[in-house]
Amino acid sequence: MGFNGTSPLLDQRGELRPEDFGAIRELSMNPIGDRIISAFFSPGKETVDFASFVRILAHFHPTETSRSRDGVQPEPANSRTRKLKFAFQLYDQDRDGKISREELLQVLRTMLEMQVTEEQLQSIAERAIQEADLDQDDAISFDEFRKSLEKVDIDHKMSIRFLS
Amino acid sequence: KSALLRCAPRWSSFLPLTGLMCVLLLVFVSVASASRDVVSENNETWRGPAGETRGDSHNQTNSTAHKKAFPVLSFNYEHVRKPFEISLWILLALLMKLGFHIIPGVQNIVPESCLLIGVGLLVGGIIKAIGEEAPVLDTKLFFLYLLPPIILDAGYFLPIRPFTENMGTILVFAVVGTLWNTFFIGGMIYGVCRIEGGQLASVDPLSCLLFGTIVSAVDPVAVLAVFEEIHINELLHILVFGESLLNDAVTVVLYHLFEEFTHAGTVTVVDAILGVVCFFVVSLGGILVGAIYGILGAFTSRFTSHTRVIEPLFVFLYSYMAYLSAEVFHLSGIMSLIACGVVMRPYVEANVSHKSYTTIKYFLKMWSSVSETLIFIFLGVSTVAGPHAWNWTFVIVTVVLCLVSRVLGVIGLTYIINKFRIVKLTKKDQFIVAYGGLRGAIAFSLGFLLTNSEMKNMFLTAIITVIFFTVIVQGMTIRPLVDLLAVKKKKESKRSINEEIHTQFLDHLLTGIEDICGHYGHHHWKDKLNRFNKAYVKKWLIAGERSTEPQLISFYNKMEMKQAMMLVESGSTAQLPTIVSSVSMQNIKPRGPARQRAIPSISKSREQEIRKILRANLQKTRQRLRSYSRHDLMIDPFEDNVSEVRFRRQRVEMERRMSHYLTVPANRQETPPVRKVCFESEHKVYTYDDSKSPRGWTAEPDPSPPDAVSLLNESSQRANQSSEHRAKHNDELRAKVPDEKEEQDQLKLSRCLSDPGPNKEEDLS
Repeated sequence: MGFNGTSPLLDQRGELRPEDFGAIRELSMNPIGDRIISAFFSPGKETVDFASFVRILAHFHPTETSRSRDGVQPEPANSRTRKLKFAFQLYDQDRDGKISREELLQVLRTMLEMQVTEEQLQSIAERAIQEADLDQDDAISFDEFRKSLEKVDIDHKMSIRFLS
Repeated sequence: KSALLRCAPRWSSFLPLTGLMCVLLLVFVSVASASRDVVSENNETWRGPAGETRGDSHNQTNSTAHKKAFPVLSFNYEHVRKPFEISLWILLALLMKLGFHIIPGVQNIVPESCLLIGVGLLVGGIIKAIGEEAPVLDTKLFFLYLLPPIILDAGYFLPIRPFTENMGTILVFAVVGTLWNTFFIGGMIYGVCRIEGGQLASVDPLSCLLFGTIVSAVDPVAVLAVFEEIHINELLHILVFGESLLNDAVTVVLYHLFEEFTHAGTVTVVDAILGVVCFFVVSLGGILVGAIYGILGAFTSRFTSHTRVIEPLFVFLYSYMAYLSAEVFHLSGIMSLIACGVVMRPYVEANVSHKSYTTIKYFLKMWSSVSETLIFIFLGVSTVAGPHAWNWTFVIVTVVLCLVSRVLGVIGLTYIINKFRIVKLTKKDQFIVAYGGLRGAIAFSLGFLLTNSEMKNMFLTAIITVIFFTVIVQGMTIRPLVDLLAVKKKKESKRSINEEIHTQFLDHLLTGIEDICGHYGHHHWKDKLNRFNKAYVKKWLIAGERSTEPQLISFYNKMEMKQAMMLVESGSTAQLPTIVSSVSMQNIKPRGPARQRAIPSISKSREQEIRKILRANLQKTRQRLRSYSRHDLMIDPFEDNVSEVRFRRQRVEMERRMSHYLTVPANRQETPPVRKVCFESEHKVYTYDDSKSPRGWTAEPDPSPPDAVSLLNESSQRANQSSEHRAKHNDELRAKVPDEKEEQDQLKLSRCLSDPGPNKEEDLS
């Protein structure tokens, strides 16, 4: 697994630091790379151990549709809801359960980099919130987020075939 | 549906329509027969204006022999025979198509392709009864003229995302599936022939394999025709359709291979290996040829900003050349055409004007529609006309084997494929994929190409039977089966900006995760391709400023424009003068605060100009459809409903905001019931003025707030040429309101109307 490939220091320390992630070149080119990195670390902690690392990555395991779940069993990490929740948390940096306009603007700014004017960003954010916001609170809650993505095949999109 | 309601009164017009068609048929047939008698006459009576010497001497001999009266009215059919017949056939085909759509209820039971085949049979029967020679579906005609438009239409509007996501599955079905079908059918047929003996005993294995090749290929025309009407979900559609497109390479290779072998007589291992190599050459070569032409086309479209009228022609001609060039080398013409369309499309769409885009879309749909109709009709006619050698065993066995091999193939392959797929194919999916494997005119044409005459008729009969069976039986029953099995249908709504944003976000997320894992998966390569595209290719192939426009922005602009046009269109024309008046106010903006009158006297020419601009926007197509459906050129009715809801919400919101800022007494706020938002606000602003409220236009003539300037700058940034014209445009259409929130909405409207797309010249010319 990539974890071992990512950090040659792993054997010594058994955990990762943000700098180790930064060593991945492609990740630094990724517009939301820093958000992804910070998603691995629980708030306040400086390191992530192997177990947590795997737990995060488990979100991206392909969904098994034939699994029968009883109500007692906790929802598996790779269910559609959990995947969406993970993505939602990347938007929602302050963890208040909603994507505010400012947070959305930040995401747009990083994704579109330098190529658009502030106004265009504002308009897009405005429109996005208008479309998705059903309870008129000027922010996108998790349910609204999920609803706006109902046509997207999340199971397919947010899954990576792990080789191991 | 309203379509049905409208059809009811038109039932009465159906009868004259049939009458008309019968008359046309009779005319056609009679002139065809009359032409022969007239031929000899024509050579004497007709004087070519070019003055053939032969004709002249003839004339002189005639005139010297006896003085003929000057022919006031002469009949010369030979001269126009060919184009006349062609036009008549096409007209007949289209009238039939028209007729089917007029008759209520027919469409729901029988797919159009069946009806067209039926018509073809009928016409063929009539022609045969009269004793004429019917036009047969000539291979050259089919492959060079009838097939390319359909494939180009399919390729140009191919939904790229689902196609590339399922590419592996599609390839496996296309290549391995077709190979399996070929050898299974060929082998079993050979076995059956051996067992049967008699007439069939002389069939040799290679002929059987050749036959297997021809009859096993899933046909894109038939698939399109049938699947179009059942609106199945995207995944299944792309699977079956993609397979039908990509198996062309396999079919081409196998066909030529077996034909060569049949002539050569012996098969060696080297030949087999060469066959495999040939497959790769054919498919990859075809794609390469298509890509080259596609890039050429995209590059050419970069420079067409001054000659907008011929833009669509470039698209068509480059694509057709791609097809023909591939055919020259016996590469896969279909794959070349698809590759050309796919490569060309994003760049051409960024470069061409809106009108050209509409033209391209309409022409492609039109040609492919005509082609499809003609193909099916000719299929029917050829069935009646062609020499047949009916052999019960052979035919029945062929049909059964086709079904069986298809089912086995799909099940077997799905079992293997599902190990590699993230989203597995369910049993229902497999059934639809298997059932949707229709054979069509390609099989017939390939069969027609066969040279071996003794077996040819028998093969041809069997092929026709298979085609009929799949298209008619399977085509008719697939719709109720889809309903019965509750297969997921196509989701009708369009993409929202949220979806677009989040999908891109997820793309980045997944790419990042893949990088962390060190796993170079789908997203990784897609991301690399996108970067390459953005960094190098776009600069070369897209003209001007559009080359740096991020995808999200173009998407957003398109949406906004769509919305603005809907807003503008939905308002009645009575509203327009209001817009005109209030809009023209903007021109007087720099004059200063001492303006008493609310309504300035706008000059006629200004009003005309503004009306023209608005009307030009109205005439544009409402959206750049991402759909690939044959019939869906009109607005999606669902889309309207979705937008309606949104607009109503927007209106509520606007009213809410308005009420914060308006100090106008309540009765003033009652405006005539207008459905759409922006008009209301405009109107309200206007009534403001009448009341001479202190917050009226006085705020307006202040030196433009920074927003206006930036808008101007924005627009001048975007416009490559004549920005001052556009600036004026922006000025006119920007409604200045004191309220900043409203201004932002208005800003949106003006931005919508001032489309940064390359159509600016048209609008302002």
